[in-house]
Amino acid sequence: MSTSTQVTGVDVAEAASTPPVPLAARTRGLRKLYGRTVAVDHVDLDVPEGAVLGMLGPNGSGKTTTIRMLLGLVRPTAGQVSLLGHPVPEQAGHALPDVGALVEGPGFHPFLSGRENLLRMAAAEPRLATSDIAGAVADALERVGLADAANRRYRGYSLGMKQRLGLAGALLVPRRMVVLDEPTNGLDPAGTREVRAIIAELHAAGVTVLVSSHLLAEVEATCTHVAVLQAGSVVAQGELAELLESGSPALLVSTPDGTAAMEALRSKRIPSRLTPGGVRVDLTATTPPEVVAALVHAGVDVHEARRDRTGLEDLFARLTQEPQGEVRS
Amino acid sequence: MTEVATAPAVPVAGRAHASLARLVRAELRWIFRRPRTLVVLGLLAVIPVIVGIALTLVDSPGPPGGGDGGGESLLATAGGNALVLPIGTLAMALGLLLPLSAAMAGADALAGESAHGTLRGWLLGPVSRGRLLLVKSIGVAVFTVTATVVMALTGVLTGLVINGTGSLFTLSGTTLSFPAALLKVAIAAGWVALQLWAVGAVALAISAWTEHPMVVLASVLGGVIVFSVLGLLDALDWLHPFLLNHSWTDLGDVLRDPMPGGALAEGALRAGCYIAIALSLAYARLSTKDG
Repeated sequence: MSTSTQVTGVDVAEAASTPPVPLAARTRGLRKLYGRTVAVDHVDLDVPEGAVLGMLGPNGSGKTTTIRMLLGLVRPTAGQVSLLGHPVPEQAGHALPDVGALVEGPGFHPFLSGRENLLRMAAAEPRLATSDIAGAVADALERVGLADAANRRYRGYSLGMKQRLGLAGALLVPRRMVVLDEPTNGLDPAGTREVRAIIAELHAAGVTVLVSSHLLAEVEATCTHVAVLQAGSVVAQGELAELLESGSPALLVSTPDGTAAMEALRSKRIPSRLTPGGVRVDLTATTPPEVVAALVHAGVDVHEARRDRTGLEDLFARLTQEPQGEVRS
Repeated sequence: MTEVATAPAVPVAGRAHASLARLVRAELRWIFRRPRTLVVLGLLAVIPVIVGIALTLVDSPGPPGGGDGGGESLLATAGGNALVLPIGTLAMALGLLLPLSAAMAGADALAGESAHGTLRGWLLGPVSRGRLLLVKSIGVAVFTVTATVVMALTGVLTGLVINGTGSLFTLSGTTLSFPAALLKVAIAAGWVALQLWAVGAVALAISAWTEHPMVVLASVLGGVIVFSVLGLLDALDWLHPFLLNHSWTDLGDVLRDPMPGGALAEGALRAGCYIAIALSLAYARLSTKDG
């Protein structure tokens, strides 16, 4: 299994419109039914190689189900999955050695110590030679800050320590892709920062990271790409910066005379509305220089003009609180 | 797209799966580090000792040649007989205790691991589902053999301590040399282990269908009891050859000289069929199961 060349999963038709970015993981038309409940439907997810993709979505939006199908743990009702260039679940065995994952919370045996649990997990890692297992486990424990508690029973671990051990399990071997489902669940602020640092390290090393979370600040701080799930479908995905700009573009102008500014803009047919300390100008049909020029011509004092960037929180709220949000229980 | 995708230092390439021996080692370490396993093995080890002491206190050496095969009736002849004690206690425990411990091993192997979320860890290793079932079956088999051997060993030791080597009578009245007696115990233990393996395989099959170890225990235990009851109903004698525990009461045959092999061979064949069918069902379920 060589490098990323065969990973490109872009169809010819698509290649014409989108740059041929190699994808570490890709799903098309993914659908999963549990009985008559639709857990996931029409999920077309692209995880570019080397990206840190944050998967956002309210509880029950299908994040974990999508991740489990991506890893071959769950068989999709319909649709295709490709992971590191291999079709999943048919050839998951070829992709999984290079994928580290923490899914649905850490799963370990309470009567074994953290180290013994990891040793057991490491036994199943094809990339680890038997003689390297002990060292790899010690390194992983060190990396997540559990070295001191390594020989205590898992039973006595705090929620945060359990989460760290799960993270250590995903990092046992150098990976090409790491999938983290809610990695900061139960972690204290210091632990959250450490997870961020680990994600940044992985990113710097060129590892593709897929991280699901409902903590928006965390995603905004660590991700290059975002996919937003809502009621089992992807409602938005792309580079974080692009998505944040994609809302209705607007310019915030601070001025002591908001009313005069609005009148000046209305005469130029530029929509705007009053905000505390100035006006918010809609940029769909115009550009910032034109707005500023119009205001200055009309003799309105402009103290400051800046782009109104949608925070991830606004974006998320807009995407997930549309009427379809009520469909799912 | 800003960052150019470069695969990170590709780790030691090559193997697509961890070696079977390594997985089995890890599995056995897990089984035999589990406190529950050790408690069960300890209890099974004590049973022959208790039975031996109790029989000595009661001091009712039964007539050789008596006993129609059942564990309880075998035990009636075990007092003062070092050969009958281990085999008699095995026959007795085969009624319920040993199947229960085999069911426990099977329940923990898949359902218990599912419940803890630990099965995922191996599936993501990745360990293919076929190999997973293989490793789990080996684990259950090793546990059942251990349970049987532990019981047989303490049975032999207790019998020897209480009665000495001069008391190795068969049910047919002949006296055996010590090695010949040990061979008989080994045959009995091996046969019992095979029966338990069948129980364990059934437990594994149920285990693949559920996430609750209790369901496995309850079904296997219920099954053993129902099978025993069905085995008592003469009207259902057409059904009896299909009941796994139909030949369990024939274990006493080992104690006869010469040893009648028919019922034991039939029992072994039955167990083999149960193992094949149960493991196939377990695989069918495991290979399509959501992990």
